[in-house]
Amino acid sequence: MNNPYLPKIASIRKVKPETYDTATFTLQLDDPTERKAFQYRPGQFVELSVFGAGEAPFCISSSGHGRDTFDLSVRKVGCVTDALHEMGEGGQVGVRGPLGNSFPFEEVEGKHILFVGGGIGLFPLRPQIEDVYRERDRFASITVLYGARTPDDLVYRDELEEWQQQEGMTCLLTVDVGAEGWTGNVGVVGTLLQKVEIDVPNAVVFVCGPPIMIRFVVQDLSGMGFGEEAIITTLERHMRCGIGKCNHCMIGDKWVCKDGPVFTYRQMKAMMEFEE
Amino acid sequence: MTARILPHERIDEFVTRLMQSAEVVAPRRVEVADVFYGPISSPGEVAWDYGTAIEPLKRFLLPQRETMLRFSTNGGIKVEAECDERERVFLGVRCCDVTGVGVMDAMYGGDTPDPYYMSRRERSTIIALTCLQAPDETCFCVCCDAGPFLTKGYDQQWTSLPEGMLVEIGSERGEALARANEDLLAPAELDQIATRYRLAREAEETFGDFKSYIAGAMRKLSMNEVDPEVWEQAAMRCTECGGCTYLCPTCVCFTVTDRMNGSQGVRERHWDACLNNCYAREASGHNPRPERGDRLRARFFHKISHQWAERNGRQACVGCGRCVAGCMAWAHMPAVTEGIRRGVMT
Repeated sequence: MNNPYLPKIASIRKVKPETYDTATFTLQLDDPTERKAFQYRPGQFVELSVFGAGEAPFCISSSGHGRDTFDLSVRKVGCVTDALHEMGEGGQVGVRGPLGNSFPFEEVEGKHILFVGGGIGLFPLRPQIEDVYRERDRFASITVLYGARTPDDLVYRDELEEWQQQEGMTCLLTVDVGAEGWTGNVGVVGTLLQKVEIDVPNAVVFVCGPPIMIRFVVQDLSGMGFGEEAIITTLERHMRCGIGKCNHCMIGDKWVCKDGPVFTYRQMKAMMEFEE
Repeated sequence: MTARILPHERIDEFVTRLMQSAEVVAPRRVEVADVFYGPISSPGEVAWDYGTAIEPLKRFLLPQRETMLRFSTNGGIKVEAECDERERVFLGVRCCDVTGVGVMDAMYGGDTPDPYYMSRRERSTIIALTCLQAPDETCFCVCCDAGPFLTKGYDQQWTSLPEGMLVEIGSERGEALARANEDLLAPAELDQIATRYRLAREAEETFGDFKSYIAGAMRKLSMNEVDPEVWEQAAMRCTECGGCTYLCPTCVCFTVTDRMNGSQGVRERHWDACLNNCYAREASGHNPRPERGDRLRARFFHKISHQWAERNGRQACVGCGRCVAGCMAWAHMPAVTEGIRRGVMT
C-alpha cells in the first residue's frame, strides 16, 4: 500500500533571507523521477520534515511554472522552523505532498483579480500572483495590496519592487507603523482598498494574512459589495498529517488540510458557525 | 452463509486452532474483576462471562504509541516505513466495540487509507459476542444502534445458547473460518435462530437509565442551535483530564513527534485529545479554540453531528458507556446530550 506518511527526500538549493525572521528556501527533490512527478498548483502545501526536529505544514510559495524546484517561505517561530533556519544549502529535508486543494484559476478567467495580503500571508498568494501575471491577458486587471506591521516586516522586497513597476499590474504597499526612511502609506492594509478603483461585480479577491486581518478585510470587502463567493482565502491550522486523519486542523465539519486550505468566504462562514 | 452451532465442549478446540495461525486477542480477567482485551496463551484464559472490557479494541489497531518511520541522518538521509503484519483474531468482542471498529474503518480508510491502520485491520478477524443482558449500568448501546446484538460489522457473531455458541456469519472471512473448522460445527436449526431473536429482544429490555438521546442532540448540534451556555456549563465541570477521549472507541486523533538517538531516529505517533488546551495551538501561539467550552463543542460536534455522521457513515458514539464510567465530572456523552436537548446541563 502507498504510504502517504513517507516523505520524499529533498535538498535545499538556496536560502534567501526575507526579513529578520523569515527566509525563502528553494528545494529540489533528490530523485529525478519524483522531481518530475511533483506537480502542484498555487494554494497547495507540503508537510516538511526536518528529521529529528519534526514535521510541519508550509504552503508552497512559488509558481510551479517552468522549474523543477519549489520555494517554501518560512518564519522562524517554532521547533521545526528553528531547525530549518539552521540549515544551509545542500541540507536534506523530507517532503510530503503536494497536499490540499488550490486557488481557482480557470474559474476566475476574465475577472478583475485583487490580492490582499498581510505580513507572511503573502507567502501563499505569491504563486497565484505569478501565475495570474504570467497569463495576464486572460484577466481584466491585477491588483496587489500588501501590508505589514513595519517596513522591516515586508517580505519579497525584490518582487514588490518589480510588481510596482511592471505594466499590467497595480501594487500598493502599506505598513501599520512607519519607520525612519519610510515614505509610503501608513495604516492597515484595508485602507488601501480606498485607493484603488475596483469593478466589484466583476472582481474576485484572494485574501491571506493573520486571523484578525482577514476578519477586518473581509468586513471591508463585504461593505464594498463583494459577494461571499468572490472572496477567497487560504486558512492555516496545525495540520499534523495533511491527509484528514489526525484531526488537528478540523474546523466545524471540514478538515483544513483535505477540504482546504483554500475556501471561499461562504464556506469559511459556514465552518466557523460551529466554532464561534 | 448459514449460521452454525459450536457446542460448548468444542469451544476450546476451536480457540486452540485459532491460536495456531494468529494472535488471539480476547477478554481476560486481569485482576479479580477487571477485564481487558489482550493476547491469550491458552483457551482457558477467555473470560466468556465478562460484562465489559475496561478499554475498547482501539489500541490493537491504533497503538497509543507507534513507530511510523525509522530514519538515519548519517551520510545522506534514509527513511523507511514500519509495517505491522501480524495476523490477529479478536475473539469475544462486545458489539459496541465491534461497531467502534467500524467507525475507525471509516475514519482511517476512505480515499486516503492509513497504511498502518489498514495493515492491521486487513489481517484482523472479528468474532463478536452478544450481550444477553446489559453488562453494566453505564451501557447505552441501545441508543446508538451498536448492540446488544449486531446485524453487521463482524466476521462472526457468537451468541451463547444452552446447546452451544450460535455462530452467525457476517463476511467472507467469517465463512472461510467456519468452513475450515466445519468438523467442530453443526448447522443451526431454525428454532435456535428464533431463540437468538428472542434473546436479543429480552436483552434490550434490561438496559437501564443511561439513555442518550443522540438524535435530538444531533439535530441541535448540526443546525447550530445549541445554547452556548451548555458549553460553558460543561466546561465548568470538565477537568480536561482527557480520560473520555482515551477510553472512547472512536476517539482516534493523533500527534506526531520525532525522537533521535545519535544519527538514528524514529517518527512516532501518539494518541492526542482535542480537549487538550494545546491541541490546535499553532507555533505562533495562536490558539483557535482557547476556551475549554470551544473544545468540548468541537469534540461533540465531531462525535454526533449530522455533518460528520454523513462523512463517517454513522454517528461516532457506540454507547459503550466508558466515558460515563471514566468521567469524574459528569460531562460524558449522556450528560452532554441531555444538556444539549434541554438547553442546560443538569
